[in-house]
Amino acid sequence: MSTSAHNASRPGPSGAAARGNRRSLLTVDRLSAYYGELRALFDVSFTVAGGEVLSIIGANGAGKSTLLKSIVGMMNRGKAAHIEGAIDFRGRRLDRLTTEKIVAAGVTMVPEGRRLFARLSVKDNLLAGAFLPRCRENAAKKLAEIYELFPRLGERREQVVSQMSGGEQQMVAIGRALMSSPDIVLFDELSLGLAPVIVDDVYRNVRRINQSGVTCIVIEQDMRRALDVANHVLIMLEGRVALEGKPADLTEAQVTAAYFGSSFSKAHA
Amino acid sequence: MSGFDEALYWTLVDVANGFLTGTMIGGYYAIISIGLALTFGVMRLVNLAHGDMLIVAAYLASVILGVIPISPFASLIVVAPLMFGLGYLLQRFLLNRVSVQAMEAKGLPPSFGLMSPILVTFGLGIFVAHGLLELFSSDARQIRNSLAFTAIRLSEDLNISLLRLIFFAIAVAILVALQIFLRRTHVGRAIRAASDDVQVAPLMGISTAHVYGVALGISLAVAGTAGVMIGMLRSFQPFDGPQFLLIAFGVVIIGGLGSILGSLVGGILLGITQVLAGTYFGPSAQLVAGYMLILLVLAFRPQGLFAR
Repeated sequence: MSTSAHNASRPGPSGAAARGNRRSLLTVDRLSAYYGELRALFDVSFTVAGGEVLSIIGANGAGKSTLLKSIVGMMNRGKAAHIEGAIDFRGRRLDRLTTEKIVAAGVTMVPEGRRLFARLSVKDNLLAGAFLPRCRENAAKKLAEIYELFPRLGERREQVVSQMSGGEQQMVAIGRALMSSPDIVLFDELSLGLAPVIVDDVYRNVRRINQSGVTCIVIEQDMRRALDVANHVLIMLEGRVALEGKPADLTEAQVTAAYFGSSFSKAHA
Repeated sequence: MSGFDEALYWTLVDVANGFLTGTMIGGYYAIISIGLALTFGVMRLVNLAHGDMLIVAAYLASVILGVIPISPFASLIVVAPLMFGLGYLLQRFLLNRVSVQAMEAKGLPPSFGLMSPILVTFGLGIFVAHGLLELFSSDARQIRNSLAFTAIRLSEDLNISLLRLIFFAIAVAILVALQIFLRRTHVGRAIRAASDDVQVAPLMGISTAHVYGVALGISLAVAGTAGVMIGMLRSFQPFDGPQFLLIAFGVVIIGGLGSILGSLVGGILLGITQVLAGTYFGPSAQLVAGYMLILLVLAFRPQGLFAR
């Protein structure tokens, strides 16, 4: 999958991350986010190691989507929304960059609800993902790789995406993100509105993408699926990190308590 | 020839002339309107200064041709890029600052972002018209050309103006070029992507500020072409912009808001309607029939014939 030179030197999933020696690729340090006056994140800090899959779980309104939007610069909107704190990626401060610069640096997102360019064909949606000057030359090759990963998209390349099924649209959204040859992909609510069989398929593909060397951050409502796919888990509660660790090291009671808050676990003890 | 046959013959000539001349005029109307359709389609911009920009280009060409006596068509080599640059800068340094996103960033409601560009371009149009008045006075100008009175004879009683035929060909050429640009190039695809979802386009590495600049640049480059055509066809004055804005609005409404192909079809329908109405009911009916057509489209197909 990966074609760029620096991708090849990156530790794979079997490398540093798997051995517990987490070498940081992305570091979020005391990140707070605001919608106008309303605070949505409270000093969130964590690191993502190169080559791993990080799952972020949490109830509705816990701040998961806000966190991903902050990383890709979509919270830098003046008085409408802003962030405080530092986001570091390979020694670069992402928190001061615009979204297009962040994507150029190698971090991108598959947005919640897919958000495809509805009047464009499958092929044009994918090619739109290769807009960056460094991607244009390789666009045709990259396109062939995406068709290999998702043969269904190759068959339907000329179709307008608004006429496709949810699962197919999700493939286009993922493929579109991969067209920019990212180092990290953030997946926001991948399974939203999809049938369980389709979701299995989607997660198989996330694994394949990860195995090709792309670091993944995944937001998932289904806790079992989230724990299943991840090397590392972050549980969020009311805008804060409530619990963090390797899935194998966390007990179900710990996860439940972190997910619902201590008041809930006391009431249901 | 009997009386009946002769009446039939003249009716056919009138209708044929209506369709032919109307279609040719439609090409001219399309060039006037394509820019407005493009910016509305891409960034929902209702550019009220569009008409005044046509007149700016007409003056620009007339100044250039006063210094270097070349063919008016050759002046486009200079006029179109200058107008592109003007459009790009206007978008980057003026209109992007009053967009929905810019207004939200300032803590103002998004409705300000829908209203402000309309007010800003309205003001810009007045500023530009008065600027032209200061520079060139109110004397009518024209772009002299050898083709203005040349006609092609199709039969004994049927002619078409060579100039209008050339304009029609240019309209088709612009339309084809724009389609290829929007479908086959990275920037063109980015323009279409941004018009579908302006929030997600940056995730593709697309700078929407730049892409919008390119869109208004193209819009004004085509408007510049239209301005030169206007000057070749008739005389113009600094305050002539709004009447062309009105034509462009009519064409865009008939063809479908934001549809570029719709501008050609809308222009042709408007042209045919006007010529036929003029033939049968006199010159004053031309405008009325045109507006009737616009009203009918608004009543029965408000999204226009080629809505996207």
